Amino acid sequence: MTTLSCRHVGKVWPGAGGLSVTALSDVDLTVESGEFVAILGPSGCGKSTLLELIAGLEPLSSGRIAIDGKSVSGPAPGVVMVFQDHSLFPWLSVKDNVGFGLAMKKVPKPERERRVARLLERVRLSKFANHRPHQLSGGMKQRVAIARALVESPEFIMMDEPFAALDFQTRALMQRFLLEVWLEFKPTIIFVTHHIDEAVLLADRVVVMSAGPGRIIEEVRINLPRPRRMTDPGFNDFRARLTETLEREVMRAHVEDELRLVSHAA
Amino acid sequence: MTDRSGTLERIGAPVAQPQAPEALASWEKGVLKAFIPWVVVIAIWEIAAANGWSGAVLFPPPSSFLRYALESDFRVGFGGDAMPIPVAIVVSALRVLVGLAIGFAAAIATGILISASGAFADMVMPLVRGLAPIAPIAWIPLGIMLFGIGNPTAIFVVFMGVYFILTISTVAAVNAVDQRLIKTARSYGASRTQVWTRVIFPAVLPQVFTMLRINFFAAWMAVLAAEMVGVKNGLGMMIILGREMFNTKLILLGMCMVGATGYLVDALLVQIQRRILWWQPAP
Ligand SMILES: Nc1ncnc2c1ncn2[C@@H]1O[C@H](COP(=O)(O)OP(=O)(O)OP(=O)(O)O)[C@@H](O)[C@H]1O
Ligand SMILES: [Mg+2]
Repeated sequence: MTTLSCRHVGKVWPGAGGLSVTALSDVDLTVESGEFVAILGPSGCGKSTLLELIAGLEPLSSGRIAIDGKSVSGPAPGVVMVFQDHSLFPWLSVKDNVGFGLAMKKVPKPERERRVARLLERVRLSKFANHRPHQLSGGMKQRVAIARALVESPEFIMMDEPFAALDFQTRALMQRFLLEVWLEFKPTIIFVTHHIDEAVLLADRVVVMSAGPGRIIEEVRINLPRPRRMTDPGFNDFRARLTETLEREVMRAHVEDELRLVSHAA
Repeated sequence: MTDRSGTLERIGAPVAQPQAPEALASWEKGVLKAFIPWVVVIAIWEIAAANGWSGAVLFPPPSSFLRYALESDFRVGFGGDAMPIPVAIVVSALRVLVGLAIGFAAAIATGILISASGAFADMVMPLVRGLAPIAPIAWIPLGIMLFGIGNPTAIFVVFMGVYFILTISTVAAVNAVDQRLIKTARSYGASRTQVWTRVIFPAVLPQVFTMLRINFFAAWMAVLAAEMVGVKNGLGMMIILGREMFNTKLILLGMCMVGATGYLVDALLVQIQRRILWWQPAP
């Protein structure tokens, strides 16, 4: 059982000209093995920052992040990242993109090729193994990015708005596809999104963050049976509750900003 | 879920399709468009010369200087300096290509080293910036003093002409590499060194190569100038020889060869860009 725990996590970004930005303050979050957690929050509240901290890509400013009790201090083998714009390496073929992580870890070529071929088969892209990223559609690119994550047999997949750039239909197909592979491979997924529907559709639990500096202000367990549809009874209750929380938070932050401006002017 | 394959098959189709036959037709049209202005210019030139409107001695038309090339058996110069025209072309083209290749490789290596070593960069960059504006041609006298007359001088001139500017370009390109690519690589286990060799290095190649192409013409002119003033062979020497002999046919033949060779080498660079650095469209 691998548990991820964030305790009093804070992150201050050094800014230009001494203007530092407090992106996160006092974030507490526990994620159980195999869980699908969605993170919602106003733009700029530190969602991406939190994922980067968990993935060990950036140092924390305060607090502690631990996986199975072991503090995260750099990129860990079992934790991989998938970005919104898929971030495929444009100079590598589809199969070399998927095998990138294995190549970095010097996994012997025969094993690497076997694992890559299996994953490409799984995401139905075997025919495109030798294509280049720019020859693929947006949905296919994101499938390559997901294959690249899954080939590592990761314990954690951090997904930062992975489907944000896709059109509505492709997004719906990708959501189903993600659930399929999640049920099959059972990684723990932390999934940042701006879409409340997407969060309710996919996640076991939805975490809402406050406007920057980000804290966690609400956690909602989505106990709807799977597979879910947006027309399911009960779906609307979750949607309404999360919408309300988010709207209240966005308004609160907005009013605070205005007040700050006024007090500055005075 | 049951219709798994169906779901996946519907997620987008490949964007790039094999070139349709119409593409070929438009390519042919492009060639035609490129040729017509040449045909018109040469026709006017020939007519003007045939009717004595222009000084046929000062501006011999293509029919005249190309015949001259045929008659002289495609050889120019006398004695030890004599050289077949094809050899002159190859010699000049190779000089510029070798200089560019060495300059490109050295600049990428230097640029990456500078970027990788923070404090060192602040010390070296002002030096590089100070040397970059010196035109390739300006290095000729120094080259001749250092290497005498010959291939090393021509290559040195091209190298110095592009090295600094490409180093600056490399440093700029390194700064512009998409941070998410770097983060992705690190998240998938790339070490610091692997990030440089497997991500940053390939990521900067297209931009620096584009800069190389932009600077190619200046380098090409510098090779010709070096051949005119010291390095006693190649296309540049051909033109100078024409001047010394008051042979305008030879001068124009030389100019024609310089234009054609420069064009072909540039086309070669475009092909390199398309074939090897295909992931960014050639501008
Ligand atoms: N590398 C960085 N250097 C400096 N500041 C940063 C960096 N990354 C993020 N920030 C700042 O930290 C804050 C939180 O940014 P972050 O990208 O984590 O927000 P987000 O919730 O992901 O926003 P969005 O929903 O728009 O993606 C912002 O104020 C941002 O300007
Ligand atoms: Mg973000």
